[in-house]
Amino acid sequence: MSTLSTHPSGTNYLNHTRGIMSWIFTLDHKRIGMMYLFSVLLSFFAGGMLAVLIRLQLWTPEASLFTQDQYNQIFTLHGAIMVFLVIIPSIPAALGNFVLPIMLGAKDVAFPRLNLFSYHLWVFGALVFLLALFTGGLDTGWTFYTPYSTDTDSAMGGVIPALTAVFILGFSSIFTGMNFIVTIHRLRPPGMTWFRMPLFLWAIYATAIIQVLATPVLGITLMLLAVERAFGIGIFDPALGGDPVLYQHFFWFYSHPAVYIMILPAMGIISELISVHSHKHIFGYKFIAFSSIAIAIFGFLVWGHHMFTSGQSALMNVIFSAITFSVSIPSAIKVFNWLATMYKGSISLNTPMLYALSFIFIFSIGGLTGLHLGTLATDIHLHDTYFVVAHFHYVMMGSALLAMIGGMHHWWPKMTGKMYNEFWGRIGCGLVFLGFNLTFFPQFMLGSQGMPRRYAQYDDYLPETVQLFEFYHQLSTIGSLVMAVGFFLTAGYLLHSIFFGKRAPANPWGGRSLEWQCASPPPHDNFAETPTVGDCYDFSVLEWNEQEQGYTWREDVPRPGEERTA
Amino acid sequence: MTMLMNLLYQTPFLATAAPRRGFWMPEQASTVSGEIDSIFMAITWISIFFFVLIVILMGYFMVKYRRVENHKTTSSVTHNTPLELTWTIIPLIIVIVIFYMGMTGYISLRSVPVDAYEIDVTAQKWGWTFEHPGGAIETETLTIPKGRPVRLTMASQDVIHSLFIPAFRVKQDVVPGRYTYLWFEASETGRYDLFCTEYCGTGHATMGAVVEVYEEDEFKQKIDELLRWIEDIEDDRLFVAGKRLYNRCVQCHSLDGSPGIGPSFRETHELWGEQRRLADGRTVTVDENYVKESIIYPAQDITEGYGNLMPSFRGQLRERELRALVQFIRHLDRFDDEGNLLEEWQ
Repeated sequence: MSTLSTHPSGTNYLNHTRGIMSWIFTLDHKRIGMMYLFSVLLSFFAGGMLAVLIRLQLWTPEASLFTQDQYNQIFTLHGAIMVFLVIIPSIPAALGNFVLPIMLGAKDVAFPRLNLFSYHLWVFGALVFLLALFTGGLDTGWTFYTPYSTDTDSAMGGVIPALTAVFILGFSSIFTGMNFIVTIHRLRPPGMTWFRMPLFLWAIYATAIIQVLATPVLGITLMLLAVERAFGIGIFDPALGGDPVLYQHFFWFYSHPAVYIMILPAMGIISELISVHSHKHIFGYKFIAFSSIAIAIFGFLVWGHHMFTSGQSALMNVIFSAITFSVSIPSAIKVFNWLATMYKGSISLNTPMLYALSFIFIFSIGGLTGLHLGTLATDIHLHDTYFVVAHFHYVMMGSALLAMIGGMHHWWPKMTGKMYNEFWGRIGCGLVFLGFNLTFFPQFMLGSQGMPRRYAQYDDYLPETVQLFEFYHQLSTIGSLVMAVGFFLTAGYLLHSIFFGKRAPANPWGGRSLEWQCASPPPHDNFAETPTVGDCYDFSVLEWNEQEQGYTWREDVPRPGEERTA
Repeated sequence: MTMLMNLLYQTPFLATAAPRRGFWMPEQASTVSGEIDSIFMAITWISIFFFVLIVILMGYFMVKYRRVENHKTTSSVTHNTPLELTWTIIPLIIVIVIFYMGMTGYISLRSVPVDAYEIDVTAQKWGWTFEHPGGAIETETLTIPKGRPVRLTMASQDVIHSLFIPAFRVKQDVVPGRYTYLWFEASETGRYDLFCTEYCGTGHATMGAVVEVYEEDEFKQKIDELLRWIEDIEDDRLFVAGKRLYNRCVQCHSLDGSPGIGPSFRETHELWGEQRRLADGRTVTVDENYVKESIIYPAQDITEGYGNLMPSFRGQLRERELRALVQFIRHLDRFDDEGNLLEEWQ
């Protein structure tokens, strides 16, 4: 038999216990991961629909679908939902929760109750955020810049509920990070030294460090802001003796590292996908692992590059620009190492791999356009234009979210025990890829030609400018509709697979890390006994098994741990 | 169909609509734009080189090493330190060069020549006020001379705004509680867009102006006109001047009676001499004094049903301009709902 664990009764984590309460109060990391996944996808749907409304509004320069105030609320909600409810929890909390303990051969995370509490906090935070909609709305942008956000006459009434929600969501994120750090330190199985961990775990570990160190700063900042707004204590508002630029420093001290909370786990997924689906040992394991840590460290030192035009001193701008470039090096290393992994591999072009290749394409554009923005002279022109919008969508949406979708396809057979339709999977990926590039590539030109962000309309300017902006906006809107079709198609075949999909084998792709050695879906306790691991990127020990329709361990190769006794 | 025509017409490669714009950057109209653009293009070409390299390798590997049989074993190479150091060090050298170019370009953006022509800029929701050295004030346009450095000293009355002139490649946030500055030297005459690029609420998208660049002598003429125009209008026709000043009010106050962010001027006009109910329950008589006070001390009398949103215009309007605005509202029956002067008054 191919798996290390077969449960005697044939039950798995999905049917181990029954009833809705057995899910809501479960301590099983797999169920918590699945509940996160469901909640994150629901939020992604909401944020995505708002994005389509934004694109429809900008189809014409007069943009008469919504009023200015309505539009300002729509883009604020789109940003806040996508950042705080979708991208930040997507990979660590949803996929990480499911995969991390199994990759470690553990029965669960180190603190299962804290893990459940994180999820409950997340749901509570999301509900409090909804409250903002019913207490006057929210129109500050997801950045809550002062003094706009503290001035009760300017910003709408939902600021305090929204701040509270982000504060709560922050704690959910901190607890998850803490849990993962302890789990990785304490629960690694025999044989798994630090440098034998799957790279996804290195990425999650680096991410968790950022979550634990940076998120409290956001919490404190938002509390200061709420206190200022509620009681008029002068911290950020110059009318009360405060400094609005101080807020930007505090905010970006969290929010820039938060960008790496989004992209690092995505890079971890890509390292897994490229290696497993190329059936070849990851190239340059240590460079990739250390580059994750390097990004996590440098990521703390570059926040000032969001503020090149804010009025901070020229010297600070020069220093922040210099450090910013240091982040580009570990990112470049990863891309080249992934390519080298594909070299002389045996590449299966199935859906997860297509998402990984899309990631490399899109992340290259997103990363390289970061050079234009890290460079002082050009950032002055590009700052707060659509060039920035295009850049961070290439990184946060096209890279982080597509990696998450790719990872979801990779682990879908493991999570649900069902195979999805590979044909429609590829079509869906293709539509999303084309739609994405059509939506966001024109925004680079839109921005370098001068179109500012967060504009509800653009008819008030010189006719030649308006005409050019309209052309690029229309391309972008068409792209967003193509992308929406791709996502709906994806949702369709994934749902279909749950009910009608073929049964998934334990190891459909030929992965070597431990999750592929337990059944699909895994039993409640993951492994009957703690497995011993070897090199998780050495795929030569696996072979295709026609009967299983998956990969199994070669008969003639002893398993790690058995070697010693043999 | 129109859409398709538009697409063809505006395809950047044909560039029929905008002869002076590049594919990436707008027209170069300031002394620094050439330098900024060459830095931008250098980075862009470096990016294109690496992007093409990555995509070609990826595409080639995808085809060449595509899995055709399920049993194929693969190379067992796990790393190659010299190779990996190569693709660490080469990008490192490249980004150091890019950083240096960006820094020198930035230093020229921040080094104001000593003889610069100084304009005071005030930003407020949702418009700009530009005050020239001689006292000339403008709002819809920023008139500047060609070939002379201009320094903008900027302050905000309320939230953070940001002044952006794409054709000049300059941008600077305008922060309440402190002065920020910006300089440029226009190298081409013409009309250019000026945007607000820091989100500032409802009217953010329409908080723009047009930069008008003139040759030196024509510029002097324009500034003279700015100083004189209101003096040239006879006292009994000051309401016509008020219509011109109304451009600064249009964001919030309509002329057709529909309520906006503030009460419509039509409604104020119709209440002339009568009582208006205020938010705090008091009433006030609508007259010359009330209108003037409301422009200078807007927080004093808030109309019922509206918020305390209007910034003060104290110091931004001269006495004669205030009178013109008061006359405009008082005699609004001489204008139609679009603000056109009725024929019998022309």
